[in-house]
Amino acid sequence: MDFLFLALVLYAMGAMTMLWPKRLEMAAHAIGMVLAAAASALTFLASATYLGTMCGWGVPAGMTLGRFGALVDIGWSGYTLVADGWSAAFLVITGLAGTIISLYGVDYGKAYRGTGIRALSGLWNLFLASMVLVLLAGDGFTFILAWEVMALVSFLLVNHESKKKETVHAAYQYMVMTHLGTAAILIAFYLIGSHSPSLLFSELAHNTLEGPLRHVAFAAAFIGFALKSGLMPLHVWLPNAHPAAPSHVSALMSGVMLKVAVYGFGRFVFYFLGMEVFAYGLIVMLVGLFSAFLGVLYASMEKDMKRILAYSSVENMGIIFATFGCGMLLVQTGHGTMAMVAFTAVLVHSLSHSIMKGLLFMSAGAVMHATGSKNVELMGALAKKMPATALFTLIGAMSLSSLPFTTGLVGEWMALQSFVTLGWQTGTQELRLLVIAAFVLMGLTGALALGCFVRLFGVVFLGRRRSALVLKAYEMPFFMLLGMGIEALLILVLGIFPMPMVQLMQASLTGGIMALPMVSTDAVVWNGIGDFANAASYSAYSPFMLMMLALIVTAILAFVLEGKGLYVQKDVTWNCGTVPTRRQQYTATGFSKPLRRAFDYILKPRKERTFLKKEHAYFGRSVHYNLFIPDQFTEKLYVPVQHLMVRLSALLHLLQQGSVRLYIGYTMIAMVAVLIWGVM
Amino acid sequence: MEYLVVLLIFVVFLQTRIMELKRSILCLAAQSGIIAGACFAIGLGAGSGLHAWLPGLLTIFVKVLFIPGAILRLAGKITDEREIVSDINVNYSTMAAAAFLVFGYLLVDHLLPGTPGRSIIAASILMIMTGLALMVMRKRAILQMIGLITLENGIYLLGLLITEGLPLVVELGVFLDVLIAVVVLVILTNRMSLSFMTTDTTVMKKLKG
Repeated sequence: MDFLFLALVLYAMGAMTMLWPKRLEMAAHAIGMVLAAAASALTFLASATYLGTMCGWGVPAGMTLGRFGALVDIGWSGYTLVADGWSAAFLVITGLAGTIISLYGVDYGKAYRGTGIRALSGLWNLFLASMVLVLLAGDGFTFILAWEVMALVSFLLVNHESKKKETVHAAYQYMVMTHLGTAAILIAFYLIGSHSPSLLFSELAHNTLEGPLRHVAFAAAFIGFALKSGLMPLHVWLPNAHPAAPSHVSALMSGVMLKVAVYGFGRFVFYFLGMEVFAYGLIVMLVGLFSAFLGVLYASMEKDMKRILAYSSVENMGIIFATFGCGMLLVQTGHGTMAMVAFTAVLVHSLSHSIMKGLLFMSAGAVMHATGSKNVELMGALAKKMPATALFTLIGAMSLSSLPFTTGLVGEWMALQSFVTLGWQTGTQELRLLVIAAFVLMGLTGALALGCFVRLFGVVFLGRRRSALVLKAYEMPFFMLLGMGIEALLILVLGIFPMPMVQLMQASLTGGIMALPMVSTDAVVWNGIGDFANAASYSAYSPFMLMMLALIVTAILAFVLEGKGLYVQKDVTWNCGTVPTRRQQYTATGFSKPLRRAFDYILKPRKERTFLKKEHAYFGRSVHYNLFIPDQFTEKLYVPVQHLMVRLSALLHLLQQGSVRLYIGYTMIAMVAVLIWGVM
Repeated sequence: MEYLVVLLIFVVFLQTRIMELKRSILCLAAQSGIIAGACFAIGLGAGSGLHAWLPGLLTIFVKVLFIPGAILRLAGKITDEREIVSDINVNYSTMAAAAFLVFGYLLVDHLLPGTPGRSIIAASILMIMTGLALMVMRKRAILQMIGLITLENGIYLLGLLITEGLPLVVELGVFLDVLIAVVVLVILTNRMSLSFMTTDTTVMKKLKG
């Protein structure tokens, strides 16, 4: 409890570095970042120890708890801060990601010397503090206030390189979208709040909202939080805002801010709205599944490194929400214990996504730092220049493709596990069909994700250089490597020994209104699908066993192949008798060509081919080829709406014609009308 | 008092029929003079001393002498003297003023039945509405300014009647307001005449984006 307040004070001090004089700007930046890292570490410590005590690991000396065993529970003239297990889980995510990315930011931010570096590090602190406050908020008003501060500060951070036109465009698009989301959340709060004594979360939980308005409240809450976490029809801001923001800001936005939306949605579902309606869970699950699949499909098409990662965030948030929906369905059909696995999967995958996406955004930042470009087609062979960055990126990419021994698999495994439970336990044909469809989509998503990250890593770090930009690349300074290194290490450690993480995340669900029973963590992670009546077995994933198996298989293979020279053969790639040049290697666009053809009807790519020179049908040609993948939602949904609004606002011209006399006439008519109305 | 009201209504109706700048300004001065008379009548009826005399004197000084003087000087500078479209416009504004007079009496009878200053309140409502109507119906800046001052006179008269004498500071403030508004309007009209070679406010439409 005290740690958290200390953290908030440190964040405030960090934000103050904004006001330091210009000649001390580098010192202000360093101190701001270190303060942010320290405060985040305190947040992490406080919430992790809290969850630890809930696991029954014992209360450490000097830790004090609030009423009802809450982490924090204070109020001050209408503002209340309350944190329970559900908040603590997300505080762990925020704290962990905040600490590591702030360390990375110490060196990364230096590139902004002279271009508002003090504002950058000050706002960074404010951003982290606002997210912590959203998680701590104990009533609707504090929540909305902190949420708005978070939205505005992140807008300013996205807009930091405001010299570039596309940055400003992306930032304002983000601003508009995020405020639509806030409006939806406000509606939800208003509807629930008007049927409860006050806006305190503890009293909102006993609201008496009934009938269609309850559905409206749910829809508003889902739209608001889905928009912030970038689910598919509402994701349009995300692939624009992430590339526009400085890399460590994108890492934090993608790693933490999107999860804060999951927190808010969970708060609404668990505490305010309940899961009694079957359609709620179904909608959440379906939207999540489609976001996952379409997100990764678009990710495999992009050429901009950070847009790839942004679409991959859409994918992962889709998986998280699909699992959430699955959990809601399980609760609705009366399988609370099984739902525990699904919700634990939500939290575990949130944590692992924040780690791995943070890592990849940091390495995208490192690559940008080294080459000055985000276009993957201009990279290649960076592994030789930046070996450490390449290694860390490889680990992150493996995790995002959910390969074994990485934390990315743990959450997804549990998610798949709960899908199986849903199909197996609920027993109706429709649900089984749905689960099959879910499996198909999840499988497709997984495969596409693997392809997407093979493409990303291969094109950027392997092969031969594709442009002269690579020549000047260099390895990153200490703090940047430190940040990436810690994340990579965490991915491996948590991937091989996921138990503590799963246990902590599960503990966060046991308290509070849900009161789900604590399942033996061994059962969640280790045991296979077996007797479902027996509460001892829920899931089947043992990375340690898998690793042993993999080691044994590798050892046997190595033993068999040893000495035959089969697996080491150095030679020049055969290239029809000519020496291969670097222009003949796969490009990123070429790599994703099969996918583009297979999903032609979804992606609708636009190709333009103009002949600059054409002497003969087969040679002497010089072609300019332009491939463009429009975002279908922007094209089919947002652009028509935008046109409609422009046309509607043209109607206002009838009222506003620029004639002063007309305006005085309006005043006069209004006055006469008021007078007549007053007399009547 | 009743004679003053009759005169006032006559002057306001006359105002709606005049299109020529200088006559219109003289008519405004006459209107303000009647208001000043009403000020003296009400002030001396209520008490004596400085506060009884001052509003009337101020009205004479500001609204009868200074403002019409300033507008007259302005009118002398600009060349296009007549409203271009006149006949229909004049009849419409007179009709409107007649409607407003009926409306004013209806309003008074509904809101304040049996009030002693029935006619004078109705006249002040007539002035407010007619002032607005003049601003809407006239195109030229100076005629619109005259409409504004008519409106202001109406409000002032109504205030005077209902409150039976505002505090002195408030009255001074009101006069200062009008004075400054007119000064600004005169300057702007002058600029407009320099830039557009006319004081027809419809050309201002060109300014919109």
